[in-house]
Amino acid sequence: MSVIRKSSLDILSVGKWILRRDCRLLSAVPEKVEVAEKAQEEIEKLSGRKRRFNNPVLEYRHVYPEFLPDPNPKWRNSLREKMERADMLKRRSQIDIPEFYVGSILAVTISDPHAQGKTNRFVGICIERKGCGLRAEFILRNVVDHQGVEVKYELYDPTIQSIQVLRLEKRLDDKLYYLRDALPEYCTFPQDMDPEMLPEGTPVPLNPVQVKLKPKPWLERWERQDLKGVSNIEEHLKEKDRVRRELRKTPWEKYDLMKQYRKTIPAEDQTEIWSEVYNQLQQMRVSRKKLSRKRLFTTPKPQLG
Amino acid sequence: MSKSNLKLICSALNKMRVSCVTARSCHFQPKFRPPYWYAPKERVMSEDMLTQENRDFIEEVRQDKLNLQIAMESPLAKVEAQEVAEWDPTTRRAGLIARKIGNYPLWSKDGKKFQTTLLQVVDNHVIKYTPPEEFKPMKTTKLNWREKRKLGCLLIGSETIDPSTVTKDYCGLFSSVGMLPKRHLFRFMISPHAKMPTGTPLFATHFRVGDYVDVRAKTIDRGFQGVMKRWGFKGMPASHGVTKTHRRPGNIGAGGQKARVWPGTKMPGHMGNRWKTLRGVQILRMNTKHNILWMLGVGIPGETGAMCYLFDTILPLRKLKTPPPFPTQPFVEDLPLEYYDESIHRFEGPTITFEES
Repeated sequence: MSVIRKSSLDILSVGKWILRRDCRLLSAVPEKVEVAEKAQEEIEKLSGRKRRFNNPVLEYRHVYPEFLPDPNPKWRNSLREKMERADMLKRRSQIDIPEFYVGSILAVTISDPHAQGKTNRFVGICIERKGCGLRAEFILRNVVDHQGVEVKYELYDPTIQSIQVLRLEKRLDDKLYYLRDALPEYCTFPQDMDPEMLPEGTPVPLNPVQVKLKPKPWLERWERQDLKGVSNIEEHLKEKDRVRRELRKTPWEKYDLMKQYRKTIPAEDQTEIWSEVYNQLQQMRVSRKKLSRKRLFTTPKPQLG
Repeated sequence: MSKSNLKLICSALNKMRVSCVTARSCHFQPKFRPPYWYAPKERVMSEDMLTQENRDFIEEVRQDKLNLQIAMESPLAKVEAQEVAEWDPTTRRAGLIARKIGNYPLWSKDGKKFQTTLLQVVDNHVIKYTPPEEFKPMKTTKLNWREKRKLGCLLIGSETIDPSTVTKDYCGLFSSVGMLPKRHLFRFMISPHAKMPTGTPLFATHFRVGDYVDVRAKTIDRGFQGVMKRWGFKGMPASHGVTKTHRRPGNIGAGGQKARVWPGTKMPGHMGNRWKTLRGVQILRMNTKHNILWMLGVGIPGETGAMCYLFDTILPLRKLKTPPPFPTQPFVEDLPLEYYDESIHRFEGPTITFEES
């Protein structure tokens, strides 16, 4: 009986999630992503190889990318990285820094020295996340009163009071700087947006929305950047731009293994790092989850009158 | 015939004397002449054809020596309190040898971000003290500074290394005082009453949080550079008819009477790899376990991993006002792990809020 009830509950929650996804603005073609995933699975089956790293600890590199140091060997020092991670964990024990990605919608509350005794809350879409260690930062973008606003926050800044994920999702590109040249409705979010809860255990959804760019002039040459999240880039190009795009292409770079190696931290180093911080991060996650559940199930006080 | 020839040659050779050989005198002294006591450090490594047993034995002996040195009690512990002289503002204390290990930000209690440089004090020991009477430094042509100051020389080493990797001469510097060889050495000029006995370990607690220090190090070697990088010249325009002079200095001197290039004109040349001292750097935070100092700013010369030398600052307004640990802070078991400046926010502290005043 209980099993049936549980499964029916699960179905309900999944159904809700699908419904909400369909109702969501600007998310038109969800099939595309699934196709890509299936294709990858097929490739794996065909080649008969397993994934090289099925270590669950290594998956943390997506959730906590700032724990990995800068791969430039000129700047690396094991002791400094250790101290830095210790400081990051100390800060994380004070504030819940949730899992979020470029394309997620966040609300950040900071204490403002120019508005003493008050707090400052900003809602926006994360268009960039960069830096490692205590220098990690992210940029939120929103359109307020028809005016694009971008705020850069540092993840470990002690004046940040809370970071709340209103909608957890990924987008097709690593950086969403092209939203600056896109139509304003693609990055307009209400300041009183409600957080959307995902059912537990679902993978982070990918929003395959393709934005429409405004006509030129642009801030960057978007046509050269091989963007997947822009739909109408060809409309605004001249023949000259297309020719130059072809000239500027570097198709050999995907075969440059050394370049990839220099940009990443090797898996052996990563396991060392994650084994150092895994336990504490896991504990924090669990305790935060418990707390949030407690908050959820508080009985509402009977209203007087 | 041949005999007479031989005689001729012999007589000619006899006339030649060593005293007649004239050597070209060098008017310009080279900029650096190693002093007579200078012992080259690097050794040519050779395959010694040792058996594995012998290798193990050598390794064992080395470990024993290292353990002995680690276990050695600080000689300062024996010195009684009365013998230690008092610190006064004219005293010059010893310094430290540290390694630059990177940068990261700290935040102050009013929410400001400070970039800091981390310096690790690696395994510092006093090697030798030479009193001012005996100290004969390298002769320089210009001034005899020994007349002016009565400072002794304290030799401090950092990072113990395997004695078999360096030359015998270099090892002799250390074995004569009963220490294991160190990778880095530095001479600190100190007041005679700030001396320390051989083998005294030095820690980051030699300085205090909030103090100002001078940091001496070698700048990053950038090689031969043009004027734009070396002196910050503006160069010339990229277009508008400019040809082949985009990064060149332009005019370097006037004509007329003084038709020459003035000495000291900024020109292309070798950049970096020089000794530079950054003065008046504040210590914001200190870790006593790993002996790390967090210094304010990112201007400390050298790349990550470079060695630098720390002194008490000589800037008049930032000089030490209260007596520091003198001659140094001896090892204490139960020190707090971290020291913070009052202005610095601790990461484990609560989120900063600005109260209405």
